Amino acid sequence: MTPDLRVSLGRLQLRNPVMVAAGTFGYGLEYREWVDLARLGAVVTKSLTLVPRVGNPPPRVAETPAGMLHAIGLHNDGVDAFVMETLPLLRELGATVIASIAGETLDEYVQITTTLSGAPGIAALELNLACPCQPSRGQEWDTHPELTAQAVAAVRQATDLPLIAKLSPCSNDLTELAYAAVEAGTDILCLINPPRGVAVDPQRQRFRLASKVGNLSGPAIKPIAQYHLWRVRQSLPDIPLIGVGGISSTEDAIEFLLLGAHAVQVGTANYVQPTLATEIIHGLRDYLSAHGLPSVESIRGIVE
Amino acid sequence: MTRYELPAVVVEHRLRATNQYELILHAPPIAERATPGQFVMLRPLRTHAPLWRRPYSILRANPDKGVFSVFYSVQSAFTELLSLKPIGSTVQTLGPLGSYFVPVRAARRHILVAGGVGAPPLCFFAARLAPTLHANEQLMILVGARRRDLLVGVDEFRALGATVRVATDDGSHGYQGSVTDLLQHALEEPIESAVYACGPNRMLQGVAQACLARGTPCQVSLDAPMPCGIGVCLGCAVKVVAPNGGVWYKRACVEGPVFWAEEVVWE
Repeated sequence: MTPDLRVSLGRLQLRNPVMVAAGTFGYGLEYREWVDLARLGAVVTKSLTLVPRVGNPPPRVAETPAGMLHAIGLHNDGVDAFVMETLPLLRELGATVIASIAGETLDEYVQITTTLSGAPGIAALELNLACPCQPSRGQEWDTHPELTAQAVAAVRQATDLPLIAKLSPCSNDLTELAYAAVEAGTDILCLINPPRGVAVDPQRQRFRLASKVGNLSGPAIKPIAQYHLWRVRQSLPDIPLIGVGGISSTEDAIEFLLLGAHAVQVGTANYVQPTLATEIIHGLRDYLSAHGLPSVESIRGIVE
Repeated sequence: MTRYELPAVVVEHRLRATNQYELILHAPPIAERATPGQFVMLRPLRTHAPLWRRPYSILRANPDKGVFSVFYSVQSAFTELLSLKPIGSTVQTLGPLGSYFVPVRAARRHILVAGGVGAPPLCFFAARLAPTLHANEQLMILVGARRRDLLVGVDEFRALGATVRVATDDGSHGYQGSVTDLLQHALEEPIESAVYACGPNRMLQGVAQACLARGTPCQVSLDAPMPCGIGVCLGCAVKVVAPNGGVWYKRACVEGPVFWAEEVVWE
């Protein structure tokens, strides 16, 4: 019997638990040569802002051991261009679309949300609550539970779409942020947004990134992501969780599911292996078959 | 632009100089479509460290044999892994990618300026350009490096019948000084020229300024850290002049790596 890969994250139903993470898959269209978008659990778009943003000055990226530091600065076309030009193409390709959104102010979050709620074909909204790594611009919504709650509540009031709050481990206690986001009305938590970091060039004696501070992603952060997912799972056992951080193989994805994730996102690894998410879907099916398990849900959270 | 993601077969690691190799790969679709200035992204193993693929400019391509090659010097964990790939094994390859050099047909002299490991795409360009030149068109190639043993492509350029001038920082071969000095001298000669350059970004800035000062058309191939190679991550941003006169960013992997010099905001 073929195992059932379908998963339910509250109101959000997915054909399988393997998504691609915000900012690592463009708008999805860039990968259509290699990936059948309709086969993915969902495509999470790169973060959309109210107006187009040109992004940070270069260098924006640096490779680090088993990872990369990045400060792209939310370089994107803006929410209007996404709705007008990109979304119809994604729908034609049969993709389940989750829009990642980023606001500098609560009002921006509300305006972006209103625009997206009026567009057909959005399955859920994912709130990017991290700073755009541009110290002068933008609130760091995930540094304090009160700020997280404000952003989630503002978006919650503006839409009926399922909401995903993506949290980073940059505060003292991510669990407090998780509680705040749930109190404020998020349906789902996504763990983790990358932690901040810096990298230094010893030859040139300066920071490797023009914006100095970046976000660290890639295999290096997998244990951190799994730790936070596991802890939040213990504190908030009824909230659907999405695990993300360093997933580079089927085994990595299964580890997150065993720790209690309802679904996972493949991120940085998309850059080096565009077909990875599809491979993980196949790998997951093979794993369940090999273990005689009927569904993804049958392995969720069995590592406590 | 069609691009391919495929396992290319290692045909040979051909020693070019101390620690420097030409890696010949069999991948017919890429060999057929490769255009001088374009690059491929290589991933020798499914490793986490190094994590990224690396971009390599295409050094030559032979569509008849289905092979193309890239140039590498063993100087990092990545290049060491690449050097250890056995003949007959595969290297995951994405390409051909990016923009390419466009011959300026109005020019009477085509000047290629190669700095250090920036030479490979110009070897490819010179090889494709030379047979197309008319009797009244000249091909001049200026090659620079820090030391004699770091010069790349000099013999190949000479074999094409081009006028080749060499500069080394330490004077161990040719003119002692920068390849940009050689370009300054060449541009003083009264002949309508076009310049095509690849090398360290600081050298390219000098080349661009020399050309812009004289109104000489100039194309430069820029280097940038490149995690994805297909325009998704937006990591390889290059600051350029926007149509409205302001500045914005283009991607070295899609709109580049070859840019017109006047488009780039040099900092």
